[in-house]
Amino acid sequence: MNDVAVALVFWPVGALMLLTALYVFITSSMARAGLLLLAALALESILFIALASEYLGTLMLLMMSAEMVIMVFFMVMFMPDPGGLMGMDMTHDKRRSIAAAVVLSVALSAVAVATDWPARVLPPDAPDVRALGFEIMGRSMFSFLFAATAILFTMVGGILVAKQGGRYAR
Amino acid sequence: MISLPVVLGFAAVLFAIGAYGVLGQTNAIMVIMGVELMLGATMLNIVGFLRYAHPDATSGAFFVLIVMTLMALEATIGFGLVIATFRTRRTAEIDDLTDLKG
Repeated sequence: MNDVAVALVFWPVGALMLLTALYVFITSSMARAGLLLLAALALESILFIALASEYLGTLMLLMMSAEMVIMVFFMVMFMPDPGGLMGMDMTHDKRRSIAAAVVLSVALSAVAVATDWPARVLPPDAPDVRALGFEIMGRSMFSFLFAATAILFTMVGGILVAKQGGRYAR
Repeated sequence: MISLPVVLGFAAVLFAIGAYGVLGQTNAIMVIMGVELMLGATMLNIVGFLRYAHPDATSGAFFVLIVMTLMALEATIGFGLVIATFRTRRTAEIDDLTDLKG
């Protein structure tokens, strides 16, 4: 994609991503919040694709759609007011949280704008997937295996923590 | 046109929205959602650096995979803890979990 096409995709999709992310914490319906989070991360994956990381964008879309659908189930199961019909307020320290978020946003944006970043631009048709494949199967193989093992151990650990009559039951 | 500071700016706002979720929500699952957004912002940063600062550094792309894995692991452990808490306390509200409060 050339620079104009990237800009045409990035600005509207980025703005929509921020809006959906914000609505995750504004809506009172929990199922809707889960689906909004899925929408925010799906829009982020479109940004990845626009920024010439097609493989990462597609992978993100696939992984997050599965994860967010599971999250919607959990929300409906464990939230006190999953449909948002009782008008429960599920926030605390609202003012201080908003203030902290605004300060954080302004501070990080100021650093992003004020820093003198190096300027090197990717050629339009970069071999992203091929290079990433060589990276995973070559230099970063050990780290990749470590990530895979971590997933396995987390699956086992998650089940052990959650199982009935387990170590933490009382 | 899009440049690195623009991408980082979007990521900063996304990170702040996630931080608001972590700090301001009372339910554990909503807190997990906030963390997901913060990690999403981290990945956007890395992709931005990859595109505009170090296009030849494929190890950066690999780091996105690691953060994506971290998102899945964090959600798995979080959901496990939510189930364990709900089983013993019948609630997933973090305001009710005060055993370690001094």
